[in-house]
Amino acid sequence: MRLAMQRLWLTGQVLPVGGRLVVQHVFRSDEDRPLEVIYSFPLPRDAALRAFRITGEGFEAHSELKQTEEAVKAYEQGIADGSLAALARQYGDGLVNLTVGNVRPKETVTVYLEILAGVELRDDGFRFRFPFTLAPAYHARMRTAVVAGEGEMELPADEFGDLILPRFREDASSLHEVGFELSLHQLAIDELGSPSHSIKVKRDAAGPTRVALAPAKDVPNRDLVLDVRFTESKVRVLAGPSGNGARPFAAVVPSTLFGQKTGSPRRVVMLLDRSGSMQGEPIAQARKAIEACLAALSEEDRFGLMVFDNHVEAMHPALVAATREERECARTFLKSVNARGGTELAAGVQQAARVLGSDGDILIITDGQVSGTEKILAVTRGTEIRVSCLGIGSASQDRFLSLLARETGGVSRFVTARERVDMTAVDLFASMGRPVASGLKGSGNVQPEPPRAVFAGTPVLLYGEMDQSSEHVELTWDGGRLDLDVPSGDAEIGEAVRLLRGARLITDWESRYPSEEAVAPLEKRQRSRVAARLVELSKENGLASREMSLVAVVKRAGDRPGELPETRVVALGMPQDTSFRAYFGGPAKQILAAASYSNKLTDAVEAALQRSGTRFSRPRVRLQTDAYIAPPQPLCSRLPPSVASDASASNAGLVDLAAMLEPDGGMPGDDSDVRAARTIAAVFAFVVEGHTLTKGAFRLHVARLAGFLKSLSAVSEAEKRLIERALDAASAGNVAAGEWLVLALGSGTRWKNIEAVLK
Amino acid sequence: MSLAEIAEASGLPARTIRFYIARGLLSGPVKGGRNAAYTAEHVAQLEGIKRLQAAGHTLSEIVRILGGRPSEEEPETVPDAALWQQYTIAEDVVVWARAGGSPWRTKQLRAAVKEFAQRVGPEKNGREGE
Repeated sequence: MRLAMQRLWLTGQVLPVGGRLVVQHVFRSDEDRPLEVIYSFPLPRDAALRAFRITGEGFEAHSELKQTEEAVKAYEQGIADGSLAALARQYGDGLVNLTVGNVRPKETVTVYLEILAGVELRDDGFRFRFPFTLAPAYHARMRTAVVAGEGEMELPADEFGDLILPRFREDASSLHEVGFELSLHQLAIDELGSPSHSIKVKRDAAGPTRVALAPAKDVPNRDLVLDVRFTESKVRVLAGPSGNGARPFAAVVPSTLFGQKTGSPRRVVMLLDRSGSMQGEPIAQARKAIEACLAALSEEDRFGLMVFDNHVEAMHPALVAATREERECARTFLKSVNARGGTELAAGVQQAARVLGSDGDILIITDGQVSGTEKILAVTRGTEIRVSCLGIGSASQDRFLSLLARETGGVSRFVTARERVDMTAVDLFASMGRPVASGLKGSGNVQPEPPRAVFAGTPVLLYGEMDQSSEHVELTWDGGRLDLDVPSGDAEIGEAVRLLRGARLITDWESRYPSEEAVAPLEKRQRSRVAARLVELSKENGLASREMSLVAVVKRAGDRPGELPETRVVALGMPQDTSFRAYFGGPAKQILAAASYSNKLTDAVEAALQRSGTRFSRPRVRLQTDAYIAPPQPLCSRLPPSVASDASASNAGLVDLAAMLEPDGGMPGDDSDVRAARTIAAVFAFVVEGHTLTKGAFRLHVARLAGFLKSLSAVSEAEKRLIERALDAASAGNVAAGEWLVLALGSGTRWKNIEAVLK
Repeated sequence: MSLAEIAEASGLPARTIRFYIARGLLSGPVKGGRNAAYTAEHVAQLEGIKRLQAAGHTLSEIVRILGGRPSEEEPETVPDAALWQQYTIAEDVVVWARAGGSPWRTKQLRAAVKEFAQRVGPEKNGREGE
């Protein structure tokens, strides 16, 4: 098969706050006429394009940053002149078209595109994610079809302009090859792993750690995901001189430095995405995760449970107390939830916000496969409710979900469909609702604004700029302060930090750019405050945005003006674990959205259609649902398979256990002895897997179990000693090995069984 | 009319027009090279495409409609536009042939197209499309 794009290779540096990346795209024409190749990709989180270099036999050229209209004009003039031309242009939802035109017959052209991208920060490390494919995403007015076995998707031009999406293939094995080789800088790494790819790691004490794809090549059907865990959770500040005499800095402050959370009652709505693309393991895991999360609530807490596809369904029209009956009701409700339909996320958030009223949290569990995200962000901002997001998927919607959480003051996590969704959900839930700090302010020209609140497990990232003589940045919050030492650093780090900060600011502003406004004619856009700010930020930082694009034209001997190049759109692999049929399964008319339909055909066209035998029928809204999801692979890819498999199995047991907690915090049982004994065993079962009162995903559950044990009064001296041992274990994290999970789950476990193991 | 001019007249970007030509939605220019030109017929075709899109049709459906074939209820189960080959014989002559036939039939058709091209035009811009 002749491929217009043959290779995509990711290289570059990853710092603790983001990556400075270079993506190599190799295009080749095996045709007997010039080609115009269009490659589409999504931007990672907090990302922006900086520049590209285009090379081939006997030439090399660098891109220029121009206002988008000018860039398009320059590109078109280059094509008309018969010259090689390349254009990198950004559209809504962070989608990019890289177009390279007039690639001559039998010629190979390489484009090296520099991209700045953020990372998902955690107290003890970070997750780096880079898209090798693009997820098809639901839009109420999308049009889909299957052509020669490939899925085709079109988005409305009034929102997405002339964006061209790739065709999607179920089997990516015959598409272009992908791979990566990255170096990790400024990091003392304890663990490094990838749940998405096989990697080889080269660690050098004196230099950066290098990580590369282990096989020679891979296929474009999923994101690259790298997990980095630091040797130590501590404040990290990167800084260095930049060209303008200032010193940009980036500071990562772990949440543990802000103190403990308060114990006020929580108000939370769990909002589950039941759209067709969630079918299979993701929705099964999400159901279990919600049950486990609800078990972490006490009777003083109030909760709501909603699911959405094209419609929103609620367990109850108002918040309810987390009693045994209501949790049972939630369990029954969840059993009836299967995956189907579209992803009307904004409607879900609006309904959840209405139920919460003026205060509370929403936890969304979704694959985020939705288009028109700027509109959703606007709706969500309007609710003034905090939203936390748990994303699930092999192809990145990370940019959208991280924005959704950040813009509302929440936190987000994004896992692959082959990791344990339920564990991450429980961990995220434990930090929601009770911020460890709020009212943050920083000295040193901190921009963007610090987050409204800090949550356990997620550090604060501050970007700023200070003069060369300053050595400290002061961070204050309600009831606390911290002095951060800023190193003098080197120019390379300073430049990287300056660019990453610019990419973050551009991402934030673009999320406030309504889609229709962004594709309006230039005269109208010139009146837009957001457009003006984007142009300003692009020029200041030398980065592309929706208003500024990258273009290069290479004039060469033998250019043939006026020759029409043949357009080729690079196909991509359907994201691993997303069913092809969820988007492209049925007859095209059945998966069209009703809103796109109009009967206003001109007589001539209508007559032509009737002559051709086309029958008109109003399209249906529902997506096809029968899907296939591959079995999940072990979560801990850095561990040997047998260990990883055991870890996954024990985590599954803990999720089941967590879901069993009674509203008073104890385990269920026929009498008080059984309840007490099973509760002690449950504490040990969590502690033996590393979960204590303050650590691990199940810290809330351990706290509730400990609370129940403390409330017990009518017990013997021997039983009191067992309770104290359990409480000590919950605090200190030490416990003797034993079949604690089996005892905790066993309905007949009694005091003597616990004593027998401890002896 | 140049590509830039037809883009201006139709309100569609030049890149989109080239994409439509490659997809077989729109005829190629009436002349080749630096004299490539588009006519009022092209503008009318583009208007038709826009109307069909507004009516909810996908590009692949529009290819079928404009190609004179009925839209199928289940396009993934029947041969579609990608299985047709378009030979632009001359500026004013296009030949369509069903692809995927037996080797002898394909050979026979190619020979016939070649013979025909020699008779009706000096240029042989054979091109595969949908």
